[in-house]
Amino acid sequence: MRKKGTFWGGIALALALVVAGSAYAATATSHKKAVLNMSVGAEPPSLDPGLATDTTSAFILNQLMDPLIRLGPPPALKPEPGLVQSWQVKGTDVTLHLRHDDKWTNGKPVTANDVVQSWLRTISPELAADYAYQFYGIVGAQAYNSCDTSKQDCNALRAKVGVSAPDKWTVKVKLVSPQPWFIQQLSHTSFLPVYLPAVQKYGNKWTEPGNIVTDGPFKLAAWKHDAKLTLVKNPQWRDAKNVKLDVVNMPIITDASTALNAYKAGSIDVDTTGFNPTDIPKLKKMPDWHVYKALGTYYYGFNVKAIPDVNQRKAMAAAIDRHAIVKYITQSGQVPAKAFTPIGISGGDLIDKNGWLPQGGVDTPAGLKLAKSYMAKVANPVKDINLYINNSPGHIQIAQAIQSFWQKLGITVNIKVQEWKQYLQFLGPPPNSSVGAYRLGWIADYPDAYNFLSLWTCDSGNNNTNWCNKKYDALMNKAIHTQDAEKRTKIYQQAEDLLTGKNGDMPIAPIYWYTYTALVRPKVKGFFITPMDNVFLDKVSISS
Amino acid sequence: MPDGIPSPIFCPPLHPAYMAAFVVRRVFWTIPVILLVILLTFGMMRAIKGNPFRNTERNIPASIQKNLERKFHLDKPWYVQYALYVKGVFTYDLGPSMLQRNQTVNDIINEHFPVSVQLGVFAMIFAVVIGVPLGILAALRQNSLFDYLAMAFSNIGFAIPSFLTSTLFLYFFALKLGKYTGFPTFGWSGWRSWILPSIALGLGPMTYFARLVRGTMLETLQQDYIRTAKAKGLRWRRVVGVHVLRNSLIPAVTAAGPLLGYIITGSFIIETIFAIPGIGKYYVTSVSSRDYSVTMGITVLLSILIIIANLVVDILYGVLDPRTRDQRA
Repeated sequence: MRKKGTFWGGIALALALVVAGSAYAATATSHKKAVLNMSVGAEPPSLDPGLATDTTSAFILNQLMDPLIRLGPPPALKPEPGLVQSWQVKGTDVTLHLRHDDKWTNGKPVTANDVVQSWLRTISPELAADYAYQFYGIVGAQAYNSCDTSKQDCNALRAKVGVSAPDKWTVKVKLVSPQPWFIQQLSHTSFLPVYLPAVQKYGNKWTEPGNIVTDGPFKLAAWKHDAKLTLVKNPQWRDAKNVKLDVVNMPIITDASTALNAYKAGSIDVDTTGFNPTDIPKLKKMPDWHVYKALGTYYYGFNVKAIPDVNQRKAMAAAIDRHAIVKYITQSGQVPAKAFTPIGISGGDLIDKNGWLPQGGVDTPAGLKLAKSYMAKVANPVKDINLYINNSPGHIQIAQAIQSFWQKLGITVNIKVQEWKQYLQFLGPPPNSSVGAYRLGWIADYPDAYNFLSLWTCDSGNNNTNWCNKKYDALMNKAIHTQDAEKRTKIYQQAEDLLTGKNGDMPIAPIYWYTYTALVRPKVKGFFITPMDNVFLDKVSISS
Repeated sequence: MPDGIPSPIFCPPLHPAYMAAFVVRRVFWTIPVILLVILLTFGMMRAIKGNPFRNTERNIPASIQKNLERKFHLDKPWYVQYALYVKGVFTYDLGPSMLQRNQTVNDIINEHFPVSVQLGVFAMIFAVVIGVPLGILAALRQNSLFDYLAMAFSNIGFAIPSFLTSTLFLYFFALKLGKYTGFPTFGWSGWRSWILPSIALGLGPMTYFARLVRGTMLETLQQDYIRTAKAKGLRWRRVVGVHVLRNSLIPAVTAAGPLLGYIITGSFIIETIFAIPGIGKYYVTSVSSRDYSVTMGITVLLSILIIIANLVVDILYGVLDPRTRDQRA
């Protein structure tokens, strides 16, 4: 038995050492500096404004850079000065006046030429930026971006792009059509200027700490890939006196439970990683739980070739118990949608005025009667439908709920689950012919209903329904040319009616409007996720 | 023979010339294997559909798709892409990542592979240091309470998936007892953060080793030569130490090579749950995002790793079992 004794003795000794060692290492040294610890949900794919397309990169960029335009409080989200101090819009001519006191972290001023050259870089076919299409509203941008560098010299096309810097502080833009939302669109990270000498010097590595040159409230102090980003206050920033945080530590935590554990353990004070549905009921009772309205719509699309009768589509759209879906499945304060355009968008309540979809669907007597009355009008109902969704637990639960709602109309629903990338390819457009219905969502690029409603034009790359209505396209075209916000809202209302209204074509069934959620410790003040999914940490402080 | 000195008949010295030839031949053989691995991965990644550049529901305009394909050489015929890739592998330039736009595959491997190796080696050390003695002791005390407990523990440990053990470890040792243990709930910085993930990852292999070693030990203990050794009047410690152990450990060594490969590549779940910046996470996400160059780069890297692990095992085999050495000579 001696051997056994030694063995267990060894283990016990090892454990004792571990515990003793840990107890000795009491950490928690208190700093006078204001430090915010918050998780980010992914490794930012790129901190190059030209290449960034995702929300994590955009979030970091909004702290490091000074946006051209900032958006005011919701729901209006009016453009407010950022790097651009003032602007004039005359039809298709836009003039931007930059502030004179914005400096790069190397001390050089941020000039109009920086803006123009950065934009041309993002539009250039060589950079192959995914979001180059954000610039397609500018004269010549699409032509330059579509130039095949392997076959022709693209410099002539570059010279024709409608952006110029007549002096050090002025940017002139010529648009292909009057786009009333253009100024608001400038708040997007794609339009951020970059310091080109750094880009040229370091190439692909210019976004690494030490190389990167920025002009915002914070500087990138460290970036341990896939592990942690550290930002520190930029004391030279034009409004540095109002920036309260000195250091922001951002551990990268992709897993929802891991982030929640880190929050519970006190390692982070803000958790935006996302939450497991099973945790939400408990979290909702905490004062730390926050829900922010988003500009985004979760919807089901119909392949109108597979379900040709508009009355059947209306019956199916009316049958959905949206209230139950947001209350029991998504649980995070999402708003049942009565139309496609999110109501939180400027003019949204007018655009969606004629929304008629019953919130309780077939689970209320009125909703059931309404859905059945539409179904009764269908001459040749399609009784067997393939519903395609992508592979994620939340989507599957919603699909199962909708399957049961549609069953009450006598429709058999086959839920087909696909992996995300295959799914996207499968949906086209045009969608695979076996698609009866599918689920997708849309989050705003810029806060104008056009960004939502233009999805459903005949040649839109995001219209997976096969639905094409020339009248609708004409309305969209009219909206582009209508500068007056009120008049434009009326056009949007007509378009929305044509899409999801009582007499509309119902190629889609809107389900709910998105929200963002976060755990924020009460001592963290001023934390807010905007409807465009932006967070500005220069407004955040920590109370002692 | 005086007690305590290993019997010379069991380990004649390895012939250096033979060993060198053997290693050179094996290294040479890795080249066609790697070419095949590249071809298969290349083919399979293209066979699963999906656009590497489309990550969200936003469709990519055709002109932008073309720009991206040109930039990443996807507009070229497949054999040109393959040739370019093979050239890249042999010059250690694995190309740019299609998802992490400011990183090359070399960057990703250089930064994240060492972390996974570290985690894998710690887990392996844990598995061997605990698992092998556990198996030996259980075999020597067959049908004792210790044996039953050890085997029950092994079976449970083997059956519980690592995501569950990780979650439980985190909950109890980092969250509830964090004050005393000092274990962080996430990350990979400092020895305290290494312990829980290494144990969670090593638990499965540990129980595997314990059961394997116990099984082969029991088998060896029944052998005639053990009875002879006992009959000769050798001390029991010597019989076990020299005769039983050496022969029982061969299967464990055989298993260890591929297992190390598996541990390093299979740490995806542990890396995700503990937020460890290892390569496993990149490997899995690169497949779902169709980041071709990353998937290929890591696959090639891991095949080389497994080839090396097997090579080391074959060499160790020779040390432990002279018969295998003789056959090859």
